[in-house]
Amino acid sequence: MSEESSIKSNRKLVLPGDLMETKSKPGKGIFRKEGRIHSSVVGYSSDKSGYINVNAIAGRYSPKVGEKIIAICAETGPSIWRMDIGASFNSTLHHSESSWKVPFGDTARFLAIGDAIWAEIFMVDAAGSHQISLKKDDCRKLYSGTILKINPTNVPRVIGKQGSMISLIRENTTTRIQVGQNGYIWIDGKDEDIALAQVAIETINREATSEGLTKKIEKLLEK
Amino acid sequence: MAGQTDMELIKNGIRMDGRKPDELREIKIVAGVLDNADGSCYLEWGNNKVYAGVFGPMECHPRHKQKADRAIVQARYTMAPFSVNDRKRPGLDRRSTEISYIVSQAFEKVVMVEQFPKASIRVDMQVVEAHAGTRCAAMTAASVALADAGIPMRDMIPSCAAGKVNGVVVLDLNKEEDNYGQADLPLAIIPSTGEVVLLQLDGHLTPDEFELAMDLATRGCMELYEKMRHALENSYGGKK
Repeated sequence: MSEESSIKSNRKLVLPGDLMETKSKPGKGIFRKEGRIHSSVVGYSSDKSGYINVNAIAGRYSPKVGEKIIAICAETGPSIWRMDIGASFNSTLHHSESSWKVPFGDTARFLAIGDAIWAEIFMVDAAGSHQISLKKDDCRKLYSGTILKINPTNVPRVIGKQGSMISLIRENTTTRIQVGQNGYIWIDGKDEDIALAQVAIETINREATSEGLTKKIEKLLEK
Repeated sequence: MAGQTDMELIKNGIRMDGRKPDELREIKIVAGVLDNADGSCYLEWGNNKVYAGVFGPMECHPRHKQKADRAIVQARYTMAPFSVNDRKRPGLDRRSTEISYIVSQAFEKVVMVEQFPKASIRVDMQVVEAHAGTRCAAMTAASVALADAGIPMRDMIPSCAAGKVNGVVVLDLNKEEDNYGQADLPLAIIPSTGEVVLLQLDGHLTPDEFELAMDLATRGCMELYEKMRHALENSYGGKK
């Protein structure tokens, strides 16, 4: 907890257009005007190792190569799937990036609209379009269970330091949980266990900026 | 502007609703009121009540409106049928189409559209109760909603009107002053630079009066900007 509060103390809420008094280089959530650095979003500023960043509080998921996400099939083409990952645009999953041998035009047999997968982002281009892959590590199709959507900026809080928060929820509810970096969370287990885990995660999402969250969740799960 | 009345709109330097010429009406702003929108805002400005919701950035439809190198802002201003005395026919009309268009243009100046090629950012503004100055109220609410949606912007834009009533230049006209006054001048600025992103004028002003009205409206915008900042700080700081 002490570590958590020390992070809080040097965080500062900034709004779009705010001038940042710093000698550091601009990182994300920042723009330059007349040689000076301004914030471009509502968020908390952090100034470390020579870079100043503003971590936005809200906003859609912006995909980064290598991140593990949960994607939901939104559309099928003859050789591709269009997957909803909570970003500005749907992501493409090409049949050659899937783990199946897909005959042309038969994509829906493997992944129908509404089906979910655990996948990795393997390409993002300058125009903002992105592709995901099912061929990496533990990527797979997700059967049974339920999917919860939270604000992607709150994902680090749901996971916690070295996964402390998520393992707390897993152990206390005996569910299987997988947290996508895009804020989509897959939970599987008994119905009442899923419901409890869902309440816990929703609480974290709602109160992500409050302190003493771990204790609150512990209490909630004990009931 | 053209209406005639026996009402004394301004008497001994005090207006009908008890305000001084350079005073704003009471303003209440709450950010993040709608769950289904990416960002939202509810605003009360005197008797005006406005909701604004922001969706996106997302794929732009219809496709032919897409820009290959940047996003477009699609603002939509609508008035509820029950927002005015005589029932208003729902849907877009000439007035709301115009307001939607100028608001889109204004926001494209501040939103970092170049970060989202081919995308669209939808800004929906719904006037629930109208009492003059709704385009300013709607735009202010939309600014807060855009910030609440986490969309990168150079600044937020406050919007406020000035006008002329019984020969006196006043800030922020109310319904009676708007109907029976001589001029209405809605203004929106970028506070950090003073750039004007929206300026309209309905009625007659002399060049001197225009300067005075611009000055008043600019001061009104700056006052409003502080209120917008407080609303966002409360919404995010309050959760701590």
